[in-house]
Amino acid sequence: MNARRPVLLDLRDLSKSFTARVGLRSAKVSAVDGVSLALRQGGTLGVVGESGCGKSTLARLVVGLIAPDAGEVVFDGTRMPAGQKRPRRVVRDMQMVFQDPHSALNPRATIGEAVGFPLRVQGTPRREVSERVDEVLTQVGLHGNYRSYYPHQLSGGQRQRVNIARALALRPKLVVLDESVSALDKSIQAQILDLLRTLQDTYDLTYLFISHDLNVVEYMSDEVAVMYLGHVVETCSAHDLYRRPLHPYTKVLLASIPKIDPRQRSTERNLASGEIPSPIDPPSGCRFRTRCPFATDHCSAVRPEPVEVEPGHWVACHLYPSPGTVVEPPRRLDATY
Amino acid sequence: MAVQAFSAQPVKPTREEHDMTAAISVPDGATVEELRAAWWEADHGADARPFWTEVGRRFVANKAGVAALVFLLLLTSSAVFAPWIVRADPLVGVATDRLLPPFSPGHLLGTDEQGREMLARLVYGGRLSLATGFVPTAFATFIGTCIGVWAGYKRGISGTILMRTMDMLYAFPAILLAIAIGASLGAGALNSMIAVTIVFIPPIARIAESATRQVAIQEYLEASRLSGAGTLRILRTQVLPNVANQILVYASGLVGVAMLIAAGLSFLGLGSQPPTPEWGYMLNSLRDTIYSAPLLTVLPGLMIFLTSVAFNTASDALREAMDMRLA
Repeated sequence: MNARRPVLLDLRDLSKSFTARVGLRSAKVSAVDGVSLALRQGGTLGVVGESGCGKSTLARLVVGLIAPDAGEVVFDGTRMPAGQKRPRRVVRDMQMVFQDPHSALNPRATIGEAVGFPLRVQGTPRREVSERVDEVLTQVGLHGNYRSYYPHQLSGGQRQRVNIARALALRPKLVVLDESVSALDKSIQAQILDLLRTLQDTYDLTYLFISHDLNVVEYMSDEVAVMYLGHVVETCSAHDLYRRPLHPYTKVLLASIPKIDPRQRSTERNLASGEIPSPIDPPSGCRFRTRCPFATDHCSAVRPEPVEVEPGHWVACHLYPSPGTVVEPPRRLDATY
Repeated sequence: MAVQAFSAQPVKPTREEHDMTAAISVPDGATVEELRAAWWEADHGADARPFWTEVGRRFVANKAGVAALVFLLLLTSSAVFAPWIVRADPLVGVATDRLLPPFSPGHLLGTDEQGREMLARLVYGGRLSLATGFVPTAFATFIGTCIGVWAGYKRGISGTILMRTMDMLYAFPAILLAIAIGASLGAGALNSMIAVTIVFIPPIARIAESATRQVAIQEYLEASRLSGAGTLRILRTQVLPNVANQILVYASGLVGVAMLIAAGLSFLGLGSQPPTPEWGYMLNSLRDTIYSAPLLTVLPGLMIFLTSVAFNTASDALREAMDMRLA
């Protein structure tokens, strides 16, 4: 739907690892490894994966809270300097809504102060700050009178509305939503998701929507990227992903959604065996190979590159060789599920 | 309650004025939209009490804390307005009136070993004694907070160096360190205050550092960094308000300790110099007469004890008043 619009955010080969202490030795934890994604203006890119797959690290790399080890973030045609302060224009254009509505608000600041803080930092005059705070609070469904409340007087859903208001105060182009509804009850989740969609139209926002909840991602996203242990394994439109998943991991992930209709329930219990491996010293080659039922020696030797199997549907798996190679994708894959 | 139109600058009712139970009037068979609009109109919100207002309200409810505070205020004002309270000169005595017991005619609390009016010396002595309690604590709180907040927020090499230096100072017993610093600086009231300040910086820096570390992992700090705010602004607006109460509670308990250490230094001859009255020094000079005039000797010690207890009680009350759930 947004195919004609320009690319707003372009991630090129982003990598980030952290140093962790294991006993007396220090080890590298590879959180995000060689992630390339593009996001068109006005669209929503969903990022799904299990906990620990590097989703939140990716979010923080995008907004510049942490600096990448390698690769680059290109926003609105400008390359972001790694490890340095970003230009003011970019700070205003890129905001984030955090996961935990309780810890994302300063308990000693009123709602008005919290929402007005980014404006004040960016040097907006007091009078305009006050007007803008009222305007944006109203837009997220909170009365302007709530500005004198303290966070502990609000419910979780109200706080998340305040967080959204704070992110929108500067009228950004891109909003990174890092598990922004995960901490909320289902009924409140629905309200907040609807609010996010309305605001997307009002402000012409571009969302990077990060969640472990597959249903929520399907509802919100135009395109979805599936992450596994710091790698992006599959990227395609939300419609295709949920109806024609190609990567073995995606199939496992989708099979894990509880079905309401018992006839649709999967009888296959152990599609992928075992736990997600530790990101310290991750598996070589394809990182999913330790749990993949179709893994071969080739998978441990070579990291699969993303291949456009169908138009707009990219998969990083040796089962889908790049055009030119002769190997047939095994038929039994589709038969199994 | 009148329905209030929503404007950019709403006039908010205070908590007391706001009628939380006021019914929203809607016609029968109203649609969801109408109900929502009516709710929106009626939802004024209420003024929240700021943190410090609430702390004050809770502190006043604590009788022991208020009593201690009143005692301290009386003591402080008596020290400040000493010349208007006692006529006698605290420095000049009458040699023939030495060691008069308390309640002697003309000398309510008796006279000391040089025939000086005891009441005058206690009231004037409060000036220096209270100053040695407040001044080092205030300076140590300021310096310790700066060090601790910086180290807790920045961590890294600068933070490690700062905190390990604090640990080194902290390894010495407080009174021993104060004596060592006081002795190397030389005797005098100012030097004893400097010594106590140095002794108090490490524990306050530690409290500030651990409080800051707890705040530093909160998402609202990331949010403020995302707004493009600089380090100093983040420390001032986001970190300091959230660590101030822990530091204040701890520091208020230190005032009494500071007085004790300063009195100890004076007692050892490292603090205020004669003939300036100071409770610790008075205790020292009256030490020789403890068998001939025990009541007199007890008086300065009693003052130190009462003041110290009052500070600790007030500090406890402050901690209880601040101990509310805010997150």
